[in-house]
Amino acid sequence: MTSLKRSVADPYTSNILSKVFVRSTKIGKVQKVVRELYLRQDIPCSSRLCAACLAIAPGDANGVVAPFILSEKPAGTKSFPEGHYLVPDTNALLNGMDLFEQTSGFYDVIILQTVLDELRNRSLPLYNRVIGLTKSDDKHVYVFFNDFRLETYVVREPGETINDRNDRAVRRAVSWYREHLQNSLNTSKNPKQCPAILMLSDDKENLRKAKAENLNACSLSTYVSGLENADRLLDMINASRQIQESRSSAADKLYPDYLSLPKMMTGIRAGTLHQGIFNVSPYNYLEGSVHVPAFDKSLLILGRENSNRAVSGDAVVVEVLPKTQWKAPSTKIIEEETLNKNENAETEDGEGEAVVTEQERRALQEEVRKTQGKSIEGRPQPTARVVGVIKRNWRQYVGHIDSSSSSAGSQGRKQQTVFLIPMDKRIPKIRLRTRQADELLGKRVLVTIDSWDQDSRYPMGHFVRSLGDLETKGAETEALLLEYDVQYRPFPKGVLDCLPHEGHDWKVPASLTDSGWKGRKDLRDLLVCSIDPVGCQDIDDALHARPLPNGNFEIGVHIADVSHFVKPNNAMDAEASIRGTTVYLVDKRIDMLPMLLGTDLCSLKPYVERYAFSVLWEITKDAEIINSSFTKSVIRSREAFSYEQAQLRIDDKSQKDDLTQGMRTLLMLSKKLRRKRMDAGALNLASPEVRVQTESETSDPVDVKTKELLDTNSLVEEFMLLANISVAGKIYESFPQTALLRRHAPPPKSNFEELANQLKTKRGHSLRTESSKALADSLDTCVDPTEPFFNTLIRIMATRCMMSAEYFCSGTQSYPEFRHYGLASEIYTHFTSPIRRYADLVAHRQLAAAIEYEQLDVSLHSKPKLEEVCKNINVRHRNAQMAGRASVEYYVGQALKGRIIEEEGSVMKVFSNGFVVFVPRFGIEGLIRLGDLATPEPEGTFDAEEYVLRVSGSVKLEVELFQKVTVRISDVKEESTGKRKIKLELIKP
Amino acid sequence: MPLPPSIYHLSSSHLRLDGRRWNELRRLTAQISTQASADGSSYLEMGNTKVLCTVTGPSEGKGGGRRGDEDSMSVDVRVNVAGFAGMDRKRVGRGDRRITELQNTISSAFSSTLFTHLYPHSTISLQIHILSLDGSLLAASLNAATLALIDAGVPMRDYLVACTAGLTPPSGRGDGDDMDPLLDLNGSEETEVPFLTVGTGGAGGGDVGGGGGWV
Repeated sequence: MTSLKRSVADPYTSNILSKVFVRSTKIGKVQKVVRELYLRQDIPCSSRLCAACLAIAPGDANGVVAPFILSEKPAGTKSFPEGHYLVPDTNALLNGMDLFEQTSGFYDVIILQTVLDELRNRSLPLYNRVIGLTKSDDKHVYVFFNDFRLETYVVREPGETINDRNDRAVRRAVSWYREHLQNSLNTSKNPKQCPAILMLSDDKENLRKAKAENLNACSLSTYVSGLENADRLLDMINASRQIQESRSSAADKLYPDYLSLPKMMTGIRAGTLHQGIFNVSPYNYLEGSVHVPAFDKSLLILGRENSNRAVSGDAVVVEVLPKTQWKAPSTKIIEEETLNKNENAETEDGEGEAVVTEQERRALQEEVRKTQGKSIEGRPQPTARVVGVIKRNWRQYVGHIDSSSSSAGSQGRKQQTVFLIPMDKRIPKIRLRTRQADELLGKRVLVTIDSWDQDSRYPMGHFVRSLGDLETKGAETEALLLEYDVQYRPFPKGVLDCLPHEGHDWKVPASLTDSGWKGRKDLRDLLVCSIDPVGCQDIDDALHARPLPNGNFEIGVHIADVSHFVKPNNAMDAEASIRGTTVYLVDKRIDMLPMLLGTDLCSLKPYVERYAFSVLWEITKDAEIINSSFTKSVIRSREAFSYEQAQLRIDDKSQKDDLTQGMRTLLMLSKKLRRKRMDAGALNLASPEVRVQTESETSDPVDVKTKELLDTNSLVEEFMLLANISVAGKIYESFPQTALLRRHAPPPKSNFEELANQLKTKRGHSLRTESSKALADSLDTCVDPTEPFFNTLIRIMATRCMMSAEYFCSGTQSYPEFRHYGLASEIYTHFTSPIRRYADLVAHRQLAAAIEYEQLDVSLHSKPKLEEVCKNINVRHRNAQMAGRASVEYYVGQALKGRIIEEEGSVMKVFSNGFVVFVPRFGIEGLIRLGDLATPEPEGTFDAEEYVLRVSGSVKLEVELFQKVTVRISDVKEESTGKRKIKLELIKP
Repeated sequence: MPLPPSIYHLSSSHLRLDGRRWNELRRLTAQISTQASADGSSYLEMGNTKVLCTVTGPSEGKGGGRRGDEDSMSVDVRVNVAGFAGMDRKRVGRGDRRITELQNTISSAFSSTLFTHLYPHSTISLQIHILSLDGSLLAASLNAATLALIDAGVPMRDYLVACTAGLTPPSGRGDGDDMDPLLDLNGSEETEVPFLTVGTGGAGGGDVGGGGGWV
């Protein structure tokens, strides 16, 4: 190794600069930062045309010189037939990031350091997307460090703004590149054509100056218009800027101003303002709620004016309104689609544009009048209005174009403004400018929101891409994955490189002296088997039981040893930690780990030897645990059963072999364990679970079945719970600060208030919620002998009142907070499914370190890093669940397509203009509006105290909560939107 | 704000936050005999880390001094970080643990490098003033102290010279064998990268002192 030293006589002394800048810290302190800057001349241009740079390009510590990125023959356009390298400036990236990610164009891009720097300050997500681009091998995106290169460094002149300086730096780099390439091509032996260096900018001033300096430059839209599929690409440019220019100050402000950031900060500190996450009710798009620590109940935000441009998910600051304006939560269903059907997307100014449309106002007023009557449910809740947004949580949204908003059949490719109706009902319509409205009708479309100005009722967005026709399997599945932010792209090469080289031929080494056997127990003699759903390929767990001489039993749970294959901090680990979990859809599985591991090398397949992580207990006949131990092991599963097969084998009296006996032992013990758990107060909750039967070839849905539960299901579940609890105790003991655990907080009492009240008034049952035990007991009493489903319904409703369980790092909570409410366990973690959950993988590593099998990676010692991991996997876990449910919902809809079925259902929720019916057979919930009962819409009076909706007028009937009704289920295609929906019609109350 | 440390792997540039390559030191300038009143003095700049060192002694031990050490000279080190040295103006108290550790490290390093047995019953004191702080504090202090001791003419086995070394984070491609070593870390690099200070006493009895770690 050599080290280079700079002497005073160094000719480059003049190249050492100090960069001085001022920054303010989070708490508002101003710091002056002095940084050195070493300018140099050995930063390559990275063009494969350039021989001069190749000669001077320095390598890394191993002397490896990185290959040059920019291609020899870059693509060209009509104006640049010799090809071009693109140099976007910051605003070009801000406006057209989606363009640069296109695969049809935008190759050979030079990202300047100045631009990257500025972009990072403006938008971190965009910065990360650019970094992602530089890592892809086929896009040829090169980061040129122009601020480190002597020739291209630009000193900020006195009086010059930083933006002007940066623009100048970009121009300087463009001109340097041009000269540099020209020179190096002229000196080379076989001169080739020199590609043009084209600067892309949306700044008029910058473009003008570039032209004056005789540089190739054009705006993003000019450049794109010269490309082949210009129309589609043009739509992808951020819309907000162009509009802003054209509209200036003419329009009136529809929404109030936001407060300035310091003002909000002082307000929050003083307690006059509150910060929280803005959530919109799925039933009523005009009603939002924000939960803040200062209030028990969530703050209600009613109407468009009060929600002031907040979109569901944003972090907002709110101001509580005076008590006289407090209101009860709405008892009415308000859907944007039905209310504002006929708005015109084009009209931006003029009479039509008030923040609140007339219909909306009427709907809200009616609301207020109806809730005047004091009732228990109608107790006023604090209301608030949004005064500022701390952080936008805008993502990409999937939806479809509102056909009524586009002037269909318009001639040619004129740009027009249309509305996009997002799939997520809580998101407002998005105004979109597009040249391809005709083609996009009836398609699933992905868009992003760019801005929401004060003078526009709806947010402004731009088109990203089309996913395909509505209701096609591909488009709907992809829409679902995008909507729940599931990473579904194939694994990149870097990840696949981390797999074992042997591929499917990998085997447990035969020789016991092999390093793979170090610290492993040989458990191949045990009669291990696995029990999973039919067709399961990723087998995480296997079990065994055998009698011990002293009359007790040895029970073993063997979990796939994924941590042997996925080492911390490599690309595969990074990918898995981002994915967080495997997502199961009806017809598709999106894996967390590559197939090779998930379904083969890790999977505890029968008849082959596999690495495992085993938990072994000695258990008495009465299911008392004598001791437990943990070890890495090698096992050979004797059989992979499905739940049904296992049940049959256990029930078959003629089977007397050891394996079956072992399973009987397991079943016997699991029943005792379950009894104990129930006695301790574990909850038996229910969620509407159905399974869609699909045709094996085409995976078209055929029928819907509710899931059956066999004894063997709970057999596996009990032992998995036991393993998780044992492991949680062990890793907490070894790493009290950094163990990754799972907790389930007890629900706040107020969550159950409404349900308890409903039960009391309607059925006379009392719901006690002081502990999980009390709740479990009182849920057991909620039975209606005439309605067997009633109890399940109550359980489903109770489940919705619960908090969701979450992963956490043990150092962040005190021990009593570790409790898992639903399982009534003091401590809990996830250990048993490392193939499909990242949390389990972390638990495996921690357990391996706890039993001193291997050293714990540093990243698992650090609390902040673990907290980050927890945060991510919590979100991923929730999204995966919702995606799975949405997928089932979609397929149920498809299965019912074209059929008309009459089914029984129960009323779950009553509004003043409709009610929600739950149909257990299909696990669907549907809304029946008064308007659906008859036309003209009958009058309804809602008695909030008795939860009764009395309908009079053209139809006379009474609907009350928990009432059993018969409904006709059919599917309808809505004319205006082209969306298929399940429709329920009331037949018999 | 400048780009984050991961720029090292951006487009395989292998450039550090301030434009250096992995094996380049910052500009190093040094002077000796800067303070006529001291027995030996030096002023050292390693980039933006600026250190002033003065040596007094060897002089007779203070009032009995420590027992047991009577047959050799003791090395007394005082490090003083100026209030304006860092980004925030803050007072560093006497009892600051980091400063105490720094003093002890320097003291023990020189106790084994200097011919302390030549000066029984005496003390040599080094005052190190940190005027500006931008990483590699221990290395700069050791280098400045060596220069000041040379200026003072204190006999020593060899010159004690130090430098910090760190390791870049892996690029995320491959198995992490692409972590490059870095020399002479500046302040912002020290906050991002695990590092170690290595001092060497040359061929005449090498002496490696260590310090640093995750920050």
